[in-house]
Amino acid sequence: MFSSSQFEPNSAFSGGGFMSSQPSQAYESSSSTAKNREFQGLVPVTVKQITECFQTSGEKSGLVINGISLTNVSLVGLVCDKDVSKVTEVRFTLDDGTGRIDCKRWVNETFDAREMESVRDGTYVRVNGHLKTFQGKTQLLVFSVRPIMDFNEVTFHYIECIHFYSQNSESQGQQVGDVTQSVNTTFQGGSNTNQATPLNPVVSSQNNDGNGRKNLDDMILDYLKQPACTARQQGIHIDEIAQQLKVPKNKLEGVVQSLEGDGLIYSTIDEYHFKHVEL
Amino acid sequence: MDTSSPSVFVNGALMRRYVGQKVRTVIQVIGSDIGSVVGKSTDDLQIVVRGSSPTPPLTTYLEVIGIAESDNAIRAETWTNFGNSFGTHNYNELCKLANGEFKHLFI
Repeated sequence: MFSSSQFEPNSAFSGGGFMSSQPSQAYESSSSTAKNREFQGLVPVTVKQITECFQTSGEKSGLVINGISLTNVSLVGLVCDKDVSKVTEVRFTLDDGTGRIDCKRWVNETFDAREMESVRDGTYVRVNGHLKTFQGKTQLLVFSVRPIMDFNEVTFHYIECIHFYSQNSESQGQQVGDVTQSVNTTFQGGSNTNQATPLNPVVSSQNNDGNGRKNLDDMILDYLKQPACTARQQGIHIDEIAQQLKVPKNKLEGVVQSLEGDGLIYSTIDEYHFKHVEL
Repeated sequence: MDTSSPSVFVNGALMRRYVGQKVRTVIQVIGSDIGSVVGKSTDDLQIVVRGSSPTPPLTTYLEVIGIAESDNAIRAETWTNFGNSFGTHNYNELCKLANGEFKHLFI
């Protein structure tokens, strides 16, 4: 992996890859109160989102979605009005169904030229690029244009936009869990309701300090913080926590006790059911 | 940037909300004639698509972008072959999300 610090984040695309490779960052920024964090991954967005961002946050501050400023974006849509009249660049408009955006691809290497040859008007493509406002016009400086071969990627892209958006929403306390669930539902092909769904244990990826105990603390807290858990009046049984987190019950008991002692969770109807203390 | 004429993701049931407006949907082709294609929407309703159909061969799944003429007919402007395997259930769920809780991300 490249270290993103080698690049100037606004001009080079940070080698950090797709959002899925940096989940901890997304979670972190959503759970902390920090605003305007730089998110250096490639963020899936719709043209509508970009337009709205520029309307609300102004041009200078760049693209800010839910308080996270974005450097590079990924879009999926149809190519139209491809213009190859200039030798050093290819211009086209990308229509993703929510709106249209002007794109420009610099053609420096034969590789760039070859990649652009396969792209024609009416081709579905995934475009990765960097947003720039120049002379009052917003443009996407594209560094990769790839025709879509499997059209499930189209569906996937929009679901990913929704996922990223809700993961970083202001009121995430509620939303994160809800949407992660509905997206899971979508992919599992089931049509189930919230309560009956087994919850995905939220595995904390932030504490890689080798301190197992610390990790388990967070795992339990994260699990209990999920909206579907907080919604349950009687709390969550310790057996369920053990089962969901795949941790032996005897290992849990001590940790749960100390969390209770610290006032982070409390027992409800009996000594086996717990809830997270909401602050 | 221009967001003045979006095309809304729809399944068969959602079409009636957008009669006269631009929509996009994916159908499973049942049959095609000169000037029209009959297909099944992702929620198992029948949709008739009019307009000059794309150069054959058509694949099993076809994306159509155009104006919804009624709750089961579209006048197509853009046709895209979506291949022979496509996750219709996922697409159908996306249509619901794009017209519900997350509508503001799309239109």
